[in-house]
Amino acid sequence: MSDLNLTDNKFIQFHQKIGFKFDGVKYYGYKGDTIASALLRNNIKLIGRSFKYHRPRGFYTCGIEEPNALVQIISEYSEPNTRATIKKIYEGMEIESQNRWPSLETDIGSINNMFSPVFPAGFYYKTFMGPHKNFWKKIYEPIIRKAAGLGKPPKEFKAVSTHLYHNVDITIVGGGLNGLIAAKSLIDTKFSVLLIDFDDRLGGILNNSSKVQSVNNQTPMDWISETVKEIENSKNIKILRNTLVTTYNYINHLIAIEDKFVGSRPLKDKVNSTLHKIRTDQVILSNGHIERFLSFQNNDLPGIMLCSSFEKYMCRYGVIPSKETVVFSNNSNSESLVFSLIKKGFKPKAYIDSRSGENIEPDLFDLIRKNDIPLYTNSQIKGAYGNKKLQKILVEDSSGGVNEIKTDFLCLSGGINPDVHLFTQSKGLLDWDEKDLTYKPAQAFQPTITLGSASGQFDFNAINKEINEKLVVFGIKPVQIKLELNTSHKFKIEKLWEVLPQKQTIWSKSFIDLQNDVTTKDIRQAISEGFDRIEHLKRYTTNSMGTDQGKISSINALGIVSDLLDKKVNEVGTTIYRPPYAPLSFAAIAGRNSYEYYDPERKSPIHNWHISNGAVFEDVGQWKRPWYFPINKDETMNDAVQRESKNVRENAGVLDGSTLGKIEIKGKDALAFMNLIYTNSFSKMKPGTSRYALMLGEDGMVKDDGIICKISDEHFIATTTTGGAATVLGCMEEYAQTEWPNLNVYMNSITEQYATFNISGPKTRNIIEKVFPEVNFSNEAFPFMTFQFHEYEDTPIRILRASFTGEMGYEIYVPSNQALKIWEKIISFGKEFGLKPYGTETMHLLRAEKGYIIVGQDTDGSITPLDLGLDWMIGKSKKDFLGKRSLIRSDTVRKDRKQLVGILPTNKNEKLEEGQHIILDKEIKTPTPMLGHITSCYQSPTLGHNFALAVIKNGQSLIGTKAFASTPELKTIEVEIVEPIFYDKENTKLAS
Amino acid sequence: MLIIDCPYCGPRDQSEFSNGGEAHVKRPDGSAEIGDREWGEYVFIRANPKGIFYERWVHSHGCRKWFNCVRDTSTDEILKIYKIDEERPKLDSFKNNVKTPSGEPNLGSGNFTVKK
Ligand SMILES: [Zn+2]
Repeated sequence: MSDLNLTDNKFIQFHQKIGFKFDGVKYYGYKGDTIASALLRNNIKLIGRSFKYHRPRGFYTCGIEEPNALVQIISEYSEPNTRATIKKIYEGMEIESQNRWPSLETDIGSINNMFSPVFPAGFYYKTFMGPHKNFWKKIYEPIIRKAAGLGKPPKEFKAVSTHLYHNVDITIVGGGLNGLIAAKSLIDTKFSVLLIDFDDRLGGILNNSSKVQSVNNQTPMDWISETVKEIENSKNIKILRNTLVTTYNYINHLIAIEDKFVGSRPLKDKVNSTLHKIRTDQVILSNGHIERFLSFQNNDLPGIMLCSSFEKYMCRYGVIPSKETVVFSNNSNSESLVFSLIKKGFKPKAYIDSRSGENIEPDLFDLIRKNDIPLYTNSQIKGAYGNKKLQKILVEDSSGGVNEIKTDFLCLSGGINPDVHLFTQSKGLLDWDEKDLTYKPAQAFQPTITLGSASGQFDFNAINKEINEKLVVFGIKPVQIKLELNTSHKFKIEKLWEVLPQKQTIWSKSFIDLQNDVTTKDIRQAISEGFDRIEHLKRYTTNSMGTDQGKISSINALGIVSDLLDKKVNEVGTTIYRPPYAPLSFAAIAGRNSYEYYDPERKSPIHNWHISNGAVFEDVGQWKRPWYFPINKDETMNDAVQRESKNVRENAGVLDGSTLGKIEIKGKDALAFMNLIYTNSFSKMKPGTSRYALMLGEDGMVKDDGIICKISDEHFIATTTTGGAATVLGCMEEYAQTEWPNLNVYMNSITEQYATFNISGPKTRNIIEKVFPEVNFSNEAFPFMTFQFHEYEDTPIRILRASFTGEMGYEIYVPSNQALKIWEKIISFGKEFGLKPYGTETMHLLRAEKGYIIVGQDTDGSITPLDLGLDWMIGKSKKDFLGKRSLIRSDTVRKDRKQLVGILPTNKNEKLEEGQHIILDKEIKTPTPMLGHITSCYQSPTLGHNFALAVIKNGQSLIGTKAFASTPELKTIEVEIVEPIFYDKENTKLAS
Repeated sequence: MLIIDCPYCGPRDQSEFSNGGEAHVKRPDGSAEIGDREWGEYVFIRANPKGIFYERWVHSHGCRKWFNCVRDTSTDEILKIYKIDEERPKLDSFKNNVKTPSGEPNLGSGNFTVKK
């Protein structure tokens, strides 16, 4: 075991042993361990294979910036691409390494590494665009799909996530030293504050390094627990732990994801994660910094790690990845690692620094000398070598000599970057700091304050000054924190991005992006091919396009490019970090809007009757509508529809039409308004009559249809299509408010308030007279297209004589809460006359026989009333209505527009299909001119043959001619083009 | 995600609203005297500038009222919200430093490389 003395470690519960499995082998860790710290405890250093070349990889970091150590959590629905460096273990956890076959140790895909000349920068682009396009489909893609990639998508999945909304004055992102000081200074102020930290322990660098010896004369641990207690006891500050802010949107809108099961197995029926949606007046970014790596030959070998990560494993997790590591640095961030090692009783095997002796921190220099650590100044690591793990390194010293050092571990530091991801997401401006060699926040676009290393302020002695200056806007009392440090307070760095190798071999690579396997050679090649703009270069090489967004390496790439182009880094520019900061699962984004809650279901007031009578349902928009009513489970839809439709034509049927949109329009100018909205003229209509009406868009195309009932010039009730109800109401409201605000008119949806039952068939009158004996249903008293209000057992109802089937029919409008009572009465009174309920499919068949269109099925937003042969519905005397002027546009008066026609197959039993093309020639030659397509088709038991409606070019003039319908098998069916009406052309039934 | 200050309800989340495109587009009446071009421009042509834009919004999941808004499309800043019957604010009352079509404001567009 690589444990340190754990008794003084406050983070790991070393008395709580935890068993878990990695690649089928059982290991033990402690409560508080991440997968990475637990595996390092067990001396496991190989964690996965790389994306493209399948090279062996280890733990490079100890946090969310990790590019390599992604694992699949088998015990959590096989969740892929989980960062082993942050995911905490629990008893019984099962983990698998990714992207290897058959095993991590023996991986066949690593042969890709040998074929690496095949995968140069721009490989995908060249393969797609190149002359051998078939190569891609037939050869490259199957191979690459098998070989490349990260984890496997889970097979079954049901995450439980919920969303939580916050509205606060100040949100502090990051509860490290600066975040805690800021929060403490806001205790008991008038501000509501959220303090968010990704860790389960607040304190950041105080927990993870030995940099700070004491805070206000307390140990860092004591200061943290005291401060956190004060914050927790305050009334105005709430702390969110285990919560990662992933997104910083416009108007200080933050998205954060909270893991509710850190260190324990997620329960199936409990919320596993909470997505916090935060609105805040001010954001304080105190989310720290990220250490960079360096590029040299084979800088990806397991056994290479960042300095601060190594130190975090020691300080935070009580595990030492190696007792004899070599340290390589170009900046002062390595000092604290050396200090920590010596404090714990170890020392580096060698210390290598690219800086000269006088530029190294004097304290560090003394520490190295005092402990007899071999020191290489002005020196660089040329390469690292080993089989699946680091075994030796080559160091070029100040004299140019190359020294070989045998070692199993190497700690690297290439500098530090403020964690500017959230700041750039918020559209803040960055500026290049030539002294600290990094991009720093320069100008915020939103009310954003950056503090500490997140603002590029790397000097511990300046913390008080910065906080007091920046938080003065909140009127806080000046803070005076006293820090005692173990390392130098300032940050110093010397430029080094890449060490060029001694000699190139195929196996040896200098990586610039570990997750996407991009090498510095790829960068050179891209530039030589002209991709010297940084955004082009990023996409061409895929550099920093992995799930880690190149957190430890993207600035290095800018440095290398700036050297190659001989430009300053700020002239090269930077690519943009985009949300989310780290991968965010779709399950968390979906929250409760998944599965049965994905979309609301709307149901008719008599939905339960349909269920108990065996209805099969169809989704129409959000509505559940009975599709057909099979008499037993063996009856197919086709059989049911044949039976139901025959029954309507011979006896009578009743349809639940409650889903139809209903809009009530009132006001002094209601008549004028309705005349403007619909094509028809309602002026001469008598109260108590109704009319079939069309609504157009301003482009002249049919948008909706329905029946308008005129109660008076100041009161109308309109029906709309089931799917169009909201759009029609929205359109009416828009015009009433924006175009004709001078009209006195109000409108309201009454769709849910009334159920609608459509009874039709030759025996309708017998039935309805029995249900409503006091109403006179004779032709004289109740003619076609009129309506009357009646009382039925104290229930006010409206009866409309109208028909969508071609039979004589009535529609009964009933308040929803009384609907079932009346429906059941209709069904039971109608039994002796053969009345049966029917569904939407039969309704479609019956209306098509009669040539009635369905907006959205026979029209598609490109059909005018004239195309449908509905010229009679246009109020020609009206000065204006929606879309009127468009009906005389050059395009709408064109002669060869597609027009609605009927289609009959010559062989009456030949099956047609919706969407089939109508063509002129029997033989299909390519290209075949297409006349149009079939919009509706059915098998009619009444007519005894199949028939269809279609829209075809110049259709009205082609009536009576022959054409062909094409099939997917490229065969043709001979058809005749006919009038789009097949049943009761004289309309005798409607008025019977 | 914007916060939109509905003139009738106060500030609400963008998800409660729907955008209605360019504002102050006058609808010609439907008479035949209107030429094809004039009518066609009303039906089909809308401005889509980078920078200051007069647009319509409706509080569709709220009071269902339409209102007008001036927004800088390059930074998403809402500069002014006013009722349908209120006077349109003058363009020169807003600063607009974007050089269209490819210019970027110095701050707020997020498109760094174009700026450099
Ligand atoms: Zn409102």
